[in-house]
Amino acid sequence: MPSRERTRAAGIASDPGPRSTDHGPLGGRHERPDARAKVAGSTRFVADLALPGMLHAALAVSPVPSARLAGLELAAARAVDGVEAVVTAADIPGKNQVGVVFPDQPLLVEDRVRMVGDRLALVAARTPEAAWEAARLVRPLLEELSAVHDPVAALRPGAPPLHEGGNLIRTFKVVRGDVARERARADVVVEAEYQIGGQEHAYLEPQACLAIPEARERITIITSCQCPFYVQKAVARVLGLPLAAVRVEQAPTGGGFGGKEDYPSEPAACVAVLAFATGKPVRLVLPRELDMQASTKRHTVVVRHRWGADRDGQLCFAEVETVMDAGAYIGLSTVVAERANASSIGPYRVPAVRVATHVAYTNNLFGGAFRGFGAPQVTWAAEATMDKLARRLRMDPLELRRRNVLDDRRRTTSTGQRLPGPVLASECLDRAAALAGWDEFRARSQANSGPVREGMGIGLVLYGCNLHHGGQRLDRSSAVVILQPDGSVVVRVGLTEMGQGNLAAAQTIAAQALGVDPAVVQVWQPDTTTVGDSGPTVASRGAHMSGLAILDAIRRLRTRLDPVAAELLGCRADEVELASSLASVRGSPERTVPVAQVASEMAARRIEAIATGWHRTRPRRFDPETGIGAPYEFYAIACQIARVKVDSELGLIRVEEVSAAHDVGRVIHRDAMEGQIQGGIVQGMGWAISEELKLDHGRLANPSFTDYTIPTAADAPKVRITVVESEGASGPFGAKGVGEPSLIPTAAAVRNAVCDALGVEIDRLPLTPPTVVAALGDRHPFAWLLSERRVDEHERLATVDRDG
Amino acid sequence: MDVPVREVVRPGSLAEALLALTERPDALVIAGGTDLLVQLRDGRKRAATLVDLDRLDLAGVRETNGGIEIGAATPMDRIAADPRIRRLHPALAEAAAQIGAWPIQCRATLGGNLANASPAADTAPALLVADASLTLVSHGGTRKVPVEEFFRAPGRSALAPAELILSVLLPTPSEERGLRAFESFVKVGSRREQIISMVSLAGRALVAGDGTFSEVRLAFGSVAPTPVRARRTEHLITGRRPDAELRREATRVLQDDISPIDDVRAPAGYRRIACAVLLARFLEEAAHG
Amino acid sequence: MAERVTVTLTLNGERRTFEVPPGRRLLDLLRDDAGLTGSKEGCGAGECGACTVLLDGVPVTSCLVLAASADGHEVVTVEGLLQAGRLHPFQDSLVTRGGVQCGFCTPGIAVTGAAILARGEADPSEQARLLSGNLCRCTGYTKVIEALQDSFAKGGHAKS
Repeated sequence: MPSRERTRAAGIASDPGPRSTDHGPLGGRHERPDARAKVAGSTRFVADLALPGMLHAALAVSPVPSARLAGLELAAARAVDGVEAVVTAADIPGKNQVGVVFPDQPLLVEDRVRMVGDRLALVAARTPEAAWEAARLVRPLLEELSAVHDPVAALRPGAPPLHEGGNLIRTFKVVRGDVARERARADVVVEAEYQIGGQEHAYLEPQACLAIPEARERITIITSCQCPFYVQKAVARVLGLPLAAVRVEQAPTGGGFGGKEDYPSEPAACVAVLAFATGKPVRLVLPRELDMQASTKRHTVVVRHRWGADRDGQLCFAEVETVMDAGAYIGLSTVVAERANASSIGPYRVPAVRVATHVAYTNNLFGGAFRGFGAPQVTWAAEATMDKLARRLRMDPLELRRRNVLDDRRRTTSTGQRLPGPVLASECLDRAAALAGWDEFRARSQANSGPVREGMGIGLVLYGCNLHHGGQRLDRSSAVVILQPDGSVVVRVGLTEMGQGNLAAAQTIAAQALGVDPAVVQVWQPDTTTVGDSGPTVASRGAHMSGLAILDAIRRLRTRLDPVAAELLGCRADEVELASSLASVRGSPERTVPVAQVASEMAARRIEAIATGWHRTRPRRFDPETGIGAPYEFYAIACQIARVKVDSELGLIRVEEVSAAHDVGRVIHRDAMEGQIQGGIVQGMGWAISEELKLDHGRLANPSFTDYTIPTAADAPKVRITVVESEGASGPFGAKGVGEPSLIPTAAAVRNAVCDALGVEIDRLPLTPPTVVAALGDRHPFAWLLSERRVDEHERLATVDRDG
Repeated sequence: MDVPVREVVRPGSLAEALLALTERPDALVIAGGTDLLVQLRDGRKRAATLVDLDRLDLAGVRETNGGIEIGAATPMDRIAADPRIRRLHPALAEAAAQIGAWPIQCRATLGGNLANASPAADTAPALLVADASLTLVSHGGTRKVPVEEFFRAPGRSALAPAELILSVLLPTPSEERGLRAFESFVKVGSRREQIISMVSLAGRALVAGDGTFSEVRLAFGSVAPTPVRARRTEHLITGRRPDAELRREATRVLQDDISPIDDVRAPAGYRRIACAVLLARFLEEAAHG
Repeated sequence: MAERVTVTLTLNGERRTFEVPPGRRLLDLLRDDAGLTGSKEGCGAGECGACTVLLDGVPVTSCLVLAASADGHEVVTVEGLLQAGRLHPFQDSLVTRGGVQCGFCTPGIAVTGAAILARGEADPSEQARLLSGNLCRCTGYTKVIEALQDSFAKGGHAKS
């Protein structure tokens, strides 16, 4: 069960939310506003929407990772009964470009194929069967070119370049302190190379979008997405329309996790082009296999470490070199790299650091945003190295971390940023350890007689909330609040709900600030024609940025509402308080008038009951060359401790329990927060042990739930949660984000627990049974079997067998 | 999206079904559809006609003179729950309970699992150690085929064109005085439920009071082109008491009984090791009951 | 053009007849022909459970059932779990327990959960095993199992 405590710190910034005497819904467990409709099956996702005359879209894509496209034979596709349009690059009305940051990515291939799944042609037909059949019949004339499938090899001279300028997209650095001097005084040095696999989002709802054209003048896109404004920009560019002529409405979205951050612009641009070509509404729902192959993934990375500490366990220096596999196009890879770069050291005090994060093109899967956004990978490496140092020093891994974490006295990060307080790393460590029973576990002798071994491991993360300095130009948020004559409230925001609870958070924050019941607040789907560009719903910024914009709108609304209430109450406007659905007089709580009555009075007097709100982050200082400065506005700490049981002979891992301590600032909605933590842990656990992207020359060999195995209900560990609340964060009522901190440390904690259980280091993720057995090497009781056996030449990589 | 078939025939009798199959050489039989519909969807199998066995009464678990007869259309959840199967053939009950997940078990049929002829078919190892046989029926009449001869190659069974599986017979296990029967099924996958096996083992042993294995049957899945009985290994152990040295030797001999490959689920080396582990554990558990 | 097949089934308690192409899956009959979009397609391969419905009282993945095979049978979808407009006890518990996030897996989970209750299975780890064919990526399953426990405690051997 979660426990709540409010920690006071010196120099507490004032709570930016309006104060009320009543507790209000903040932090409660009231019903999420969208839950009833979802549970009844009445919520309409894109695939549940149909319009008369609507056509279905399909994509013809490349089966090979690298080729010159010499031509396309379309006759057979066009001949399929029901086909109304087959579109290629030449037919795109505007610019054939969907790169979200850099313009290196065409919507449709013109001359060069760079990945399996690269789009060659689009089809619109009267039935989805006809559309996908026609797409299958598109015949591309491909001259295969050499391909590169290893990001480290991609950066060596002579590697086939995917784009002009070579395969190194960019290098980010952090350079601070005198590494050579610190290396000389270190007593223990750990060197390691970590091979960290990527991850598929596996949202249950595949990518889906619907385009409704109005001749070729303007268009409505209804799409499953996290960032309607990204979609708006991409569609406007591809159609050659002004932004105002493109309306994007976010449909109820069945999971995102970053996979619906930038990628939806691509299917949306596809249906937009087809809608303009045919004059009809066009809907696209990606088949799961194509979604898995072609949409974005968590980056595969290789991380090299050389870290050192003195004999007391004080870290002296940390050198990190990371190579990220971006795939064929840049997408968001440079932004992911920025976060990975800034997060490479973790929440530790290290006098000297040298970090280099390289981003490489390859012909592999398309790396992009995924919950954690680069931080999970570097955290996995950092926490593994901390445990290795602890073992070398014969020190408790918890104690090693205690000795090195940032705190209120020593709060300068590896990038030289002075953390805003309170810095709760020790608090989170201690709380998680208490929940997990860390000391008791280590004290009792493990009953390690049979093959089952038990272990416990720690993952700790310092998470930079909201957007990196590099994304400042996006970091604003817009809200609209409309007080209805009957006292109910319409709220519009630019940040999206994808299951994480933003709707509930926005509803709760608005209700808290207006002093009304959440049930009278209705938050409607984001629509680019109702609010200003609010940036992407990413980086755990949704509740934070929506919340502050809503509070701003309500502040403005109250400049018109309070005087009316004051008249009804017979007091001054600045004495009006709102709580429990009543306007009351401060100091005389018996003098009240229902908020609904104030609303109706405003309507009767034709007083403006609509207000817009705006929030943007303050500029920060940061030097991209050295990586020094304030990459993030504020930070959240999370500590998770996993307890595992490992069958050391079969390599099977069972995560029994995860104890999580999260520094959340302020709980907005308790169920939503717990749900995020529980969900993040399970998703992180899947990445850690059972989810593997199996690539065969750029082609995903397991593009289905059958062989890309995410955790089921039977795999869920027991999750214990404790939250640490504090004041000082600048979020609404002091809230920080929890969407990503809930996942980032999990895989690290699991890896460390497994290594604790087995007494071996495993530097490869995921920890699948074959990986675990391989790591045991000669220590495995049956290792002799393989070494005895001569390698039979029949044992080569063979064809995929999917039957079961 | 619709699967690309042009006709679905739903015969009301066996004769109708066989006639339909004979008249349409490009027809495929569908029962639970849990394998076939996936294959039709992704183009691995094609058929103009599907012959749906739903209206034929081919499901049921019956006790006969020869043993337990399971109708080919019996779904896995019924097999897993049947008290007679649980008592006499616990490996089969356990295998049925581990196929897919509950909604798949409510549809997937025993006949379908066999006809699909995957080397990873979960029921096959259990049927192999039970010395089960299939009754097949065609226009020419019925014939019995031992399960060991039924699997020919990955995806290919002994079914002739226009031939159906009617039932599977599991002979009553022999009981001998002084001998204790032990049977188990274990499946190893990358997660606990709803998983295609990396390796699986069904084992059955008759153990004497002094620990001698008077009879032992071992069948493995996912480590050869078909599910296989580990005959050399069985031969090594039969009549002997598996101490640590014999267990070790058995895992070595086992390597010649299996021929695993690298595939999307696991590398061959892991499969060899996992089989050895499962075998060693079976021998120990069987010895101690 | 392929000949259509006639499918007559009892759908959410009502006898209905449809004329559909022979290759039509039950899932598409429900969504497109009967307009019941509550059942979702997450994978089309019977692995995710988003399409789960009750067929003669037991849960099945409707993406793997031919519409023609449902002829003469009883189907209950998530829409059919409502009794006189009121949520099934498990649906209600999912709401009150916070077991709903993005909502895409939710209909399938609601159907399988109702079947678990009807079966009388009270043990949480057995409940989790029975639910393992319904994948969820958002919740981590904890609040879903808690909701099952809740509805069981509320006397939810409810009719499905």
